[in-house]
Amino acid sequence: MTETVTDVRKQMRGFIEDNFLYLRPDVELGDGDDFLALGVIDSLGFVELVEEVQSRFGIAIEDVEITEENFGSIDAIAGYVERKRAG
Amino acid sequence: MCGIAGIVRAAGEARVDEDALLRMARAIRHRGPDGYGLALDEGAGFVSTRLAIVDLPCGWQPLEDDAEGDLLVYNGEVYNHIELRDELRAQGVSFATSSDTEVVLRLLERDGLDALRRFNGQFAFAWWQAQSRRLTLVRDRFGVRPLHFALRDDGTLVFGSEAKALFASGEVKARPDLAGIDDVFTTWGTRPPRSPFQGVDQLAPGGFLVWEGGKIVARRRWWEPEYGDAAAPDGDLLELMRDSVDLRLRADVPVGAYLSGGLDSSLISALAQQRKDGELRTFSIAFKDPRYDERAQQEAVARALRTQHHVVEAGPGEIAAALPDVIRHTETPLIRTAPVPLFLLARAVRANDLTVVITGEGADELFWGYDLFKEVAIRELHRRDPDAAMAMLDDLYPYLGETGARRGPAFTKFLLETGAGNDPLGSHLTRAEATATVKAFYRDEVAAEIGAGSSLERLRAQLPEAFDSWSTLERAAWLEVTTLLEPYLLAAQGDRVAMASGVEGRFPFLDHRVFAYSAALPPERKLDGMRDKIALRDLADGLLPAEIVERPKQPYRAPEVAPFFSDDAPEWVADALGADALEETCIWDAGRVEGLLRRCRTGRATGVREGMALVGILTTQLWHDEFCGPERYAYPGETEAPRVRIDRTRDKVTGETE
Repeated sequence: MTETVTDVRKQMRGFIEDNFLYLRPDVELGDGDDFLALGVIDSLGFVELVEEVQSRFGIAIEDVEITEENFGSIDAIAGYVERKRAG
Repeated sequence: MCGIAGIVRAAGEARVDEDALLRMARAIRHRGPDGYGLALDEGAGFVSTRLAIVDLPCGWQPLEDDAEGDLLVYNGEVYNHIELRDELRAQGVSFATSSDTEVVLRLLERDGLDALRRFNGQFAFAWWQAQSRRLTLVRDRFGVRPLHFALRDDGTLVFGSEAKALFASGEVKARPDLAGIDDVFTTWGTRPPRSPFQGVDQLAPGGFLVWEGGKIVARRRWWEPEYGDAAAPDGDLLELMRDSVDLRLRADVPVGAYLSGGLDSSLISALAQQRKDGELRTFSIAFKDPRYDERAQQEAVARALRTQHHVVEAGPGEIAAALPDVIRHTETPLIRTAPVPLFLLARAVRANDLTVVITGEGADELFWGYDLFKEVAIRELHRRDPDAAMAMLDDLYPYLGETGARRGPAFTKFLLETGAGNDPLGSHLTRAEATATVKAFYRDEVAAEIGAGSSLERLRAQLPEAFDSWSTLERAAWLEVTTLLEPYLLAAQGDRVAMASGVEGRFPFLDHRVFAYSAALPPERKLDGMRDKIALRDLADGLLPAEIVERPKQPYRAPEVAPFFSDDAPEWVADALGADALEETCIWDAGRVEGLLRRCRTGRATGVREGMALVGILTTQLWHDEFCGPERYAYPGETEAPRVRIDRTRDKVTGETE
């Protein structure tokens, strides 16, 4: 069984809140907000985020796909996961 | 090996309080548990605490020159003192003692600061030229021995082996230096000239300072690590290493060895055992947690070398219990608990009646053993042959997988891209970025005051002129020596935790001749693909078991979160990290810290970065409380009688009144 786009969003929000947002209690993170621009995630945090997407959703991520366009926000990740699954 | 301290005032008529000297002596008495001495001159006072290693009955300090009235307080060893003494004797110089201290003073008197280049050793000293009222402070090439000082507005200079001697003087108040602390959370240690304390400087490794008339009139490096010499190395490395080890076995007390189970300390132990006729005693730290433990390798080496082997086992409980003492001695916040087991190991060495140990420190910096050098090489290879570089990366950091920083395409991309451009600090940006995790917990106003990137900016401004002419690996080596070796490994993980128990560490790889040899060695004799320290591995072949000769480096680490969040964690942990204590220290944001603590309590803080953050915050709290807080340590005076007492002020007063 695979998660819906909504599930992906929910799971990633949980992961980001748990791992990063406790450091930025001042930020109300929207699904479309840019993690890096808001300073919610630093460069190594970005690494952890990408690795999490790979292991959690069982996706093989190509080097060229590791971009802000695909991983820069909750919406971006949900869209990326959906596209990868659609193949 | 000793501790030194002193006060000099701009005007000779100004007094130096003997009680202040007694407090300073007591503050660094752990460095010299065998006794202490003091000297009072006009507007000047000096103390020395002594750990007797050479010339046990006669080597007391301060050492006085009868003719010139010069005084020397000296911490450390000049290993080639026998050869230098013979040379001076041949020129008619006579000696009252057989100590290296007297050789240092005589050679300084003959050659001035040109004498420094003749010294092979590890030392920090203060040379008082009474007639000109000139004080010269000197530190050895790599900064094995520490030396702190503060220049007050009235021209008074206060110095000491450790900062606590300055605070004990009553002349200097301990206050946090945010930029100094930020160095710890950038490259693991505060780089000289800064210290973590405002107004307290550290003399640079290979540096000297001259104070006269209330002013610092000269402050320079007399030695610096240099690279890029195309000439082939002189001589034979095995002979050089044998000589370096032999020099460091010179002592009037027994010398033991630290044995980590890796190549470097095993090689040093093997060379030492050949000279000790089978009597070498080796000491190892073992961990209850198998992820950190190297007991099997240590025992294999000890068996092969037939040493008398001692093991100290450290678990979470021992690490938590000792941390406050460790911070008292290191005088700095830390990002790792790794100094704690070494503190416990030195205590065990002392309990076994040894006061000197040789270790393998320095080999990874000189012969490119750290993974950081491999990162640099892989980035270079990636430009030419990406597939080969990716294959090499698979062998790097195998231990990260267990600790939460999972390896995958993003981690690979990060390693390859961070520092891949022309940034001179490129080799160290991955470490700086990982360590900067701790900075996310700064209060906003603290972060603003420090300024983003200021520690790295100061480092950029410090780069030597020749830096650009060196290869990327040589640049990485210079940065490693400058940012990690002295500020962290030789200090918090070296001198301080050993001297806490009055144990002197000696480092055969940090003989300046070995450095010169390594710098002139062709790069492929240091690192070739993923095979590191090749020249040393070749040397070890036949001296050590084969599995040790080819053993990849295992980074020395200790548990970081478990000691402080197990059921039997000490009560002070919660107090130190509580809202009141955080408010008192005024560095960390309580809300963010609470978020981290929640993760620690629920077992979710499993990553390397969270471990660093916890240790960084907790040790800053302990450090602040010990030195800067409202209940900071009150420094009592020494009550024992001094072994040497020179009082020229009294002589003069007596002379005038009689």
